[in-house]
Formats: sequence, structure tokens, C-alpha cells
Amino acid sequence: MADADLPAPEDPADALAAVAALRRLADHLEDTAVERAMRAGWGWPQVADALGITRQAVHKKHAKRLIAAGVELRRR
Amino acid sequence: MSPFDEYLHTAIERARMEAHEDGSDAAEAHHLLLAVAGAPEPVAGPVLAAAGLDRAAVAEALHREYEASLAVVGVDLASFDLAPPVRTPLRSIRIGATLKQLLQRSFTTSRKKDLRPAHILLGLLQIEAGTVPRALAIAGVDRAALAADVRRAL
Repeated sequence: MADADLPAPEDPADALAAVAALRRLADHLEDTAVERAMRAGWGWPQVADALGITRQAVHKKHAKRLIAAGVELRRR
Repeated sequence: MSPFDEYLHTAIERARMEAHEDGSDAAEAHHLLLAVAGAPEPVAGPVLAAAGLDRAAVAEALHREYEASLAVVGVDLASFDLAPPVRTPLRSIRIGATLKQLLQRSFTTSRKKDLRPAHILLGLLQIEAGTVPRALAIAGVDRAALAADVRRAL
């Protein structure tokens, strides 16, 4: 963050685009962080708790990708 | 399948490939724009070329739009040292919300037999909000003028 007192964007188009871009950035950070955690031997329930989402959600979002990348996944 | 359906199918497959390559798990409207710019058909091709919109120009504009939108809330993309994500397998790439919306709005309501491949670019140019029009504006494109060029070429 560059500015502590950055005002909320006034133009709705800018404000909404910022939300979309933040989601995309958060997704990218999530992909990287989940991959690192799973490579470090974390299980799905731990990752789910850490992200504040359900185990099903985290599995649905990341399992195929990580399996395809050859990451060894703990069963539970 | 009509020639339009065939072209649309190919373009969507290319959009899914674009999504796969940038680490996304869904193909969105901006991936379709990359796909169309990367393999332009005979009608849209010259219009895109005249506007300087090849695939590289579109990719550059999309990246600048991403950076600019994050900057709105004070986030500096350059300050993140982001590794490229492990890719979602191509077969698992979904059709994302913006692409779904574009397909429903542009290619199911109009009379299907009148549709030609260039209508895909036209549909992309008619998106009013979001990543695609913002990136096109950053690329210096007047969407209405470009859409008029496409219609003339049809």
C-alpha cells in the first residue's frame, strides 16, 4: 500500500475494476500459497481452515491443478 | 454445425488455451479477445490490424488494465514477486462468467443464421463494462468506431 489515507475510488467503474483486479490477484496468491502449503505437507482441512473456506471448496478449486502438477497430496 | 458455430467453437477453444497459459482456471471475455486478435479471420483481421490490435498489443493493454485497476486502491502489482501459478489442466478450464454472458447476449438472441465470424469481435466491442472495454480504452481504441468498421466490412 502506497498511501495510508487513499480515498475510496469515486468512479464506480474504477471501484468495480479494482475489486475485480484484487480478486484476480488474491486468486493468484491463493494458487501459489496453497501449492506451497501442500508441497510442505499440509492437509486439505488445515489449508481450508487457514483460508476460512470449506475443505470441499479448497479441494474443488485446487485438486486437479495440483495433481496435474505432480504435487503429492495428503489424503486428509 | 454452421461455419459461424465452427468458428465460435474454435475461438472458444483458443480462449480456453489462453486462460490455461496465463494460469487462470476459467476462460473469460478477455481471453476470447486475445484469441480473436491472435488468429483473426478475414473480415475482422484487417480492421484489427488497422487499429494496431495484434495479440501482443491486446496482451499489453490487458496487463496495463490490471495494473491500473489495482493502483486505484493503492496496490502496486510490481511490488509482488509472483511465481507463475501451476496451470489448471486445459480440459478443466471452465467458461467464466464474462464469457458466458457475452455468449448469451450476443450469440443466442440475434438470428443465428445471420451470424458470421466477425460478429464475435463485434460482440466483444459491445461489452460496456469490465476488463475488455477498459483494456481497449488503454490501447487507445474507440470501440464504437471500430465496431462501425467491422459492420462495414461484414
